[in-house]
Amino acid sequence: MARTRQIFTWLAALFAGLCSAAHVVAGGAAAETCYLDGWGNPLHCYRLPVEGKPETPRLAVMVAPAVHDSGEEPLYLLAGGPGQAASDLAPLLNAFKPINRERDIVMVDRRGSGRSGAFHCGIEDQLSLDLDVFARKLARCYLQRPEFAESLSSRQTVEDLEMVRLRLGHEQIALWGGSWGTRTALLYQQWYPESVSELVLDAVAPIDTKVFLTARAAEEALRTLERDCASDPACARLGDWRGRLDEMLDNWDAGRAPVLPDPLTGKLSGEPMARWEFANAIRTVLYDPGAAAQLPYAITQAHQGNLQPLAGLSGLFLQAAESMSMGLTFSVACAEELNRISAAEVAADSRGTFLGTAFFDLFKHGCRGWPVKEKPYSTPEPREHPVLLISGEADPITPPRYAEVELGYLANRQHLIVASGGHINSARGCIPGLIASFLADPAEALDTTCSGQIGRPPFMVADYGPDIGGVSPQDVEAVGKVSGKEAGQ
Amino acid sequence: MNRLASILRGPGGALLYKEFLEAWRDRRALWMAICFSLMFPVMLAAGSVFMLKKHTEEDTRLALLGAAHAPLLEDRLRGGSLKVDALDGGDPAALLAGDYDIVLSVQDGFAEGYRNFEAPPLYLYIDSSSSAAVRAQRHLQERLGVFRQLVVQQRVIARGVAPQLLAPWHLEVRDVSTPSRRGAMLLAMVPGLLILTLFVASLATSVDTSAGERERLSLETLLLQPLPAWQVILAKTLAVASMGWAGALLALVALVSLMPLMPLAELGIQQATTASGVLTMGLLLLPLALLVAVVQILLALRSRSFKDAQTQLSILQVAPVVLLMMLDMSRAELGGFLWQLVPLVGQQQWLKALLVGETVPLMTLLAGSGATLLLVAVAIRFGATALQRESLLSAA
Repeated sequence: MARTRQIFTWLAALFAGLCSAAHVVAGGAAAETCYLDGWGNPLHCYRLPVEGKPETPRLAVMVAPAVHDSGEEPLYLLAGGPGQAASDLAPLLNAFKPINRERDIVMVDRRGSGRSGAFHCGIEDQLSLDLDVFARKLARCYLQRPEFAESLSSRQTVEDLEMVRLRLGHEQIALWGGSWGTRTALLYQQWYPESVSELVLDAVAPIDTKVFLTARAAEEALRTLERDCASDPACARLGDWRGRLDEMLDNWDAGRAPVLPDPLTGKLSGEPMARWEFANAIRTVLYDPGAAAQLPYAITQAHQGNLQPLAGLSGLFLQAAESMSMGLTFSVACAEELNRISAAEVAADSRGTFLGTAFFDLFKHGCRGWPVKEKPYSTPEPREHPVLLISGEADPITPPRYAEVELGYLANRQHLIVASGGHINSARGCIPGLIASFLADPAEALDTTCSGQIGRPPFMVADYGPDIGGVSPQDVEAVGKVSGKEAGQ
Repeated sequence: MNRLASILRGPGGALLYKEFLEAWRDRRALWMAICFSLMFPVMLAAGSVFMLKKHTEEDTRLALLGAAHAPLLEDRLRGGSLKVDALDGGDPAALLAGDYDIVLSVQDGFAEGYRNFEAPPLYLYIDSSSSAAVRAQRHLQERLGVFRQLVVQQRVIARGVAPQLLAPWHLEVRDVSTPSRRGAMLLAMVPGLLILTLFVASLATSVDTSAGERERLSLETLLLQPLPAWQVILAKTLAVASMGWAGALLALVALVSLMPLMPLAELGIQQATTASGVLTMGLLLLPLALLVAVVQILLALRSRSFKDAQTQLSILQVAPVVLLMMLDMSRAELGGFLWQLVPLVGQQQWLKALLVGETVPLMTLLAGSGATLLLVAVAIRFGATALQRESLLSAA
């Protein structure tokens, strides 16, 4: 009988083992199932309490669990802005499926963004304001929560990420940073080198680079667009659109400025467009190669007085503007970037560019009403982690030279430049596969030839869209007559 | 306990030894059991590898006629799984009969119609009798759809309209399955096949030990021994069940060892079968192996000849599997406790759950297995009564 009982105990132990395996326990915090727009599969979500005053929102942490957990380091996605939420990067998970097969992908909304107490100012969708009005509204927003604004910083975000890493029980983590997220990743690497295994940095903002000086970068991106347009027979027919843009900017008459039609309602409402707004709109369009391909035509039309294409293009960026938490953007930008930029540097950067100081002025005015303390970084120290850098050749804010010049302290880096690429290229063409290969074998040099196939999307050349080829519009009439004759015969 | 020991020391033990020896000595039966047990795991693994390869690697060959009328179209179609050949001319039917899966024809005047917003036609030639037609059409639609969207977007932007106006809402799909549950579809047939293995592996042995012994006239000798009839049936059942169980265990081990070779992660499936799950599956198959063995022996005994027994049992082995499949297809609600007590149905449900790493309550397993064992006891009792009827021995 004793033996029978033994077997029973063994059986019971077996099932107890089965039952405990089914529980999801992670670092003492209970995970809930949740979803993010743009990704159909369930995520494990945590709300982790954080230290610190005056306000302590709980950090929203979202984990896309690996399909088959093979013990590889998880990949943390760090969002840009500053002000964008990592949870807004969920659509990227579709491109990162091969990575997600064996690694957890973790998204942490930093304090003041997304689901971690987003610091909105209610003006996210009203950038087309008079600069002074904009600065006044922003100052009012600051005065409502000055201590919270002061508390937000890259240091705090890195400390929070480190806390999340420990709470989730991850020994080391791989980082993917996009845009400003690359700055966070590079700082994390400086401050907690032991916690990080590899870094993938897309649209790189090195620690020493003053990324808010964007005029020269935007000018270079526009010139790359000019080059590509000139070598495309259909786009080349649009002629000197760049000259027309300069002409419009040079002769901007605030009194007779046009009103941009609303791309959602079609109505002509709102204020006449300011020159800085127009220049910034051009700059923004350059972020996305698909939108940039429509710029030569849109400028040509605007020069003729038809602002519809430009209005349509602005419609492509409505949602991006709304997802930014403006309070977080200004807290970090004013404390970590604006204060280290001198007037001479602004003048040097903006000289001979279409943008001039139009972008910088927005922040210069904004930061006057956002008086957070300066939070400088120390000089970066050498690091050995494998790093994959990705740049778009025609990126108007983080051009390839940033990654070339300012990252000499990274001993093991490889740089992938996407020809004619814009801002953030991780989801395009074969690049997700290259990132997966890099993470699987970081020491190996990547064969990046496949990225040459990505190319620029076709240019919009007329109101019918891209030129599909065949017979050119000038020849249509002649050919029409010929084919008409043939049909008659 | 003492009673069992005394039975094993006496003639009962000798009988059991004889039955096991006869069962495992039959090489042909053993090989048949081994082959069948290994066959389905290997087929399942190979099938899943082949399925993924077909899904991801197979290209569509497109013949593009009249590409010169729309060079950009040719350019945008290239890429992904679509291999485009621009041809000057050719008969679509002949091209489809040859190397191409699909033929797209651009007519003269297409570009002009496009520029004039006339929505000019593109002619797509397919061979719907070909197995590649559906996939080829999907590949083309994917590429063409992306390009179409690009043109539409440029056209509405040119008119000052935000492209998001074309989408009055956005459908967000939320999949509630987990990566381990997703394996359920691929592994759905495994419980049925494991149960079928039980039947097939023990078939030859059960016929041999019953109808076979009767034809060899050794059954009569056996019954003349001073042994209770139930012991005879029990010994035969244990010997036959050992063969069936071993076959099912072999299949289970083969399946679990082949799982790492299957492209489960690529199919979005997590391999969740745990070691304790495999052990549990092995254990829960034992009562079923006993039931299958005793039913096979009883049927073979009441058949008229060795051949007749073989025929009857061949039918019997298919019947329960078909029944389980039908229950599956009818989407009958089998989660209730009473269903768990039904032999075959209960085991199938538990195997399904354990394969995808889920748990089965211990009480359910014990109650269901108890019910199966009870049926085994009833069958043995029934068999013992039947053995005492002389008619059984002269059936031939």
